[in-house]
Amino acid sequence: MAAPLLSAALCGVRGGRAFGTAAALCRRAAPLGPMPNEDIDVSNLEALEKYRSFTRYFRLAEKESRKPRWWKTYRQHTSPPAEPKTDISLPRDKLLRAKEIKERKKILKENHQNAEMERAARLRTVLIPLDEVRAEWEKTSGPFHKQRVAEHCGIFRDLFKGATFTPWVTLRVEYSQEDEHFVPVYYGNMVAPSEASSPPAVSYEADKGSLWTLLLTNPDGHLRNTDSEYLHWLVTNIPGNDIKLGKEICHYLPPFPAMGTGYHRFIFLLFKQDCPIDFSEDIRPMPCHSLKMRTFSTFDFYRKHEDAMTPAGLAFFQCQWDSSVTWVFHQLLNMREPVFEFVRPPVYHPPQLKFPRHQPLRYLDRYRDTEEPTYGIY
Amino acid sequence: GLRFASTTATLKTETEADTSENEVVAPDFTNRNPRNLEQLALARKERGWKTTWPKREFWHRLRLERTQHYVEAFVERCNGDVVVSASTREWAIKRHLYSPKGVTACRNLGRVMAQRCLEAGINFVNFKAVIPWEYRCDSIQEFEKAMQEGGVILREPRRIYQ
Repeated sequence: MAAPLLSAALCGVRGGRAFGTAAALCRRAAPLGPMPNEDIDVSNLEALEKYRSFTRYFRLAEKESRKPRWWKTYRQHTSPPAEPKTDISLPRDKLLRAKEIKERKKILKENHQNAEMERAARLRTVLIPLDEVRAEWEKTSGPFHKQRVAEHCGIFRDLFKGATFTPWVTLRVEYSQEDEHFVPVYYGNMVAPSEASSPPAVSYEADKGSLWTLLLTNPDGHLRNTDSEYLHWLVTNIPGNDIKLGKEICHYLPPFPAMGTGYHRFIFLLFKQDCPIDFSEDIRPMPCHSLKMRTFSTFDFYRKHEDAMTPAGLAFFQCQWDSSVTWVFHQLLNMREPVFEFVRPPVYHPPQLKFPRHQPLRYLDRYRDTEEPTYGIY
Repeated sequence: GLRFASTTATLKTETEADTSENEVVAPDFTNRNPRNLEQLALARKERGWKTTWPKREFWHRLRLERTQHYVEAFVERCNGDVVVSASTREWAIKRHLYSPKGVTACRNLGRVMAQRCLEAGINFVNFKAVIPWEYRCDSIQEFEKAMQEGGVILREPRRIYQ
């Protein structure tokens, strides 16, 4: 069946017009790997185990679709291959797992024997205390979850050029408002610039005698160069918990995401220092309102001091333009406010063919440089 | 008198010299934030999977997996990367529950998941990847109610085309 079709295609005998079929031109050969479902024995269908439910099949199908295959897949095409990343987090001592597991099993056993809990679960009235759950989560799986979200927001890619770290120290950042309530900063919150106009209250657990560095950067806001960031706040050699006792290298500048540029990330980084570090090269003048002085690169900064400093805490928020940003541009930075507009990338059209098949007359409009529509003019 | 005048004069020239270069702004601005376009509803959603189920026309999707031993909830992107997750296998949640499966577990998981989503800045999630005949069951209904009460909206905004 294949041979006469092949010759007809190549000579163009049928009706004078040849057609190309890449499949016919390739020589038939053995597949380069195992075909799917090859390992299932179809000779005896009665003896095979059936799915009997859609959920079982669907879950298995999802798992199979995520496996890497020898043929080219859409997943391989869209997502780049994962590179091994350097880990720059704080070293962690090996936890004693056996004792912890024993304690947890004991608590679970007590829960199971508790008749009240069983009744509440049966009558569906149980409501877990969310604050306690959050506190426990911060200690156990919080750092991994925060690392995952930070990975998706592109923080490690932009600040550290791919090196990741797990934020073991829980950094609590809260902006206090006039009416006594706090706007907290978690991992990816939305905070308005008017709420972030004064330095926030930062707290974290610290041993006595340890030194820390706090840094606030904006990797998205740079008005001249896309690859550099703006430094908003840098406090170094903080003894223990108290930010006020640390040396403020660069004073706090409120966020100023320009209008029309969308959401900017503002990232708080907490570094743990092994010894007092001399930051005299990085000192900015006291009221520093020059954007050139505030241009910063976390990668170079970290490279300079990487022997004495390790990243320990992370918190970031997303910020959009607000009327207080105009005040920052006019009063603090002493410049005219820039306003941007979103420009859509041009619509993609495949390369133009001399004889397009099954295309309407407006096919020509897509490739003409001037605007002369042939559709909708009558 | 004289000294005072000179100090004020030098301060002024310093601040002027500082901020005089601020005016220079590049005409093109590129925002590197990968979440920017989807938060502005301008990012592309994958529209091509209309003949299969579940469709991939979303920015973030909420997926609930219920097994015989535990319940898990994931918020993921269309390429499959998990952004936020919560499961009754985590010690933080397991210790307060009598059983890690069942309606109460789903409901409390919904409350915890809503809190985590809001903390991560995910306000709109797509909750269409549920099997229709399973959607009516108590646990999934309770989970959905808990997510909505927690403040997460289970409809993604339409992309802005114009």
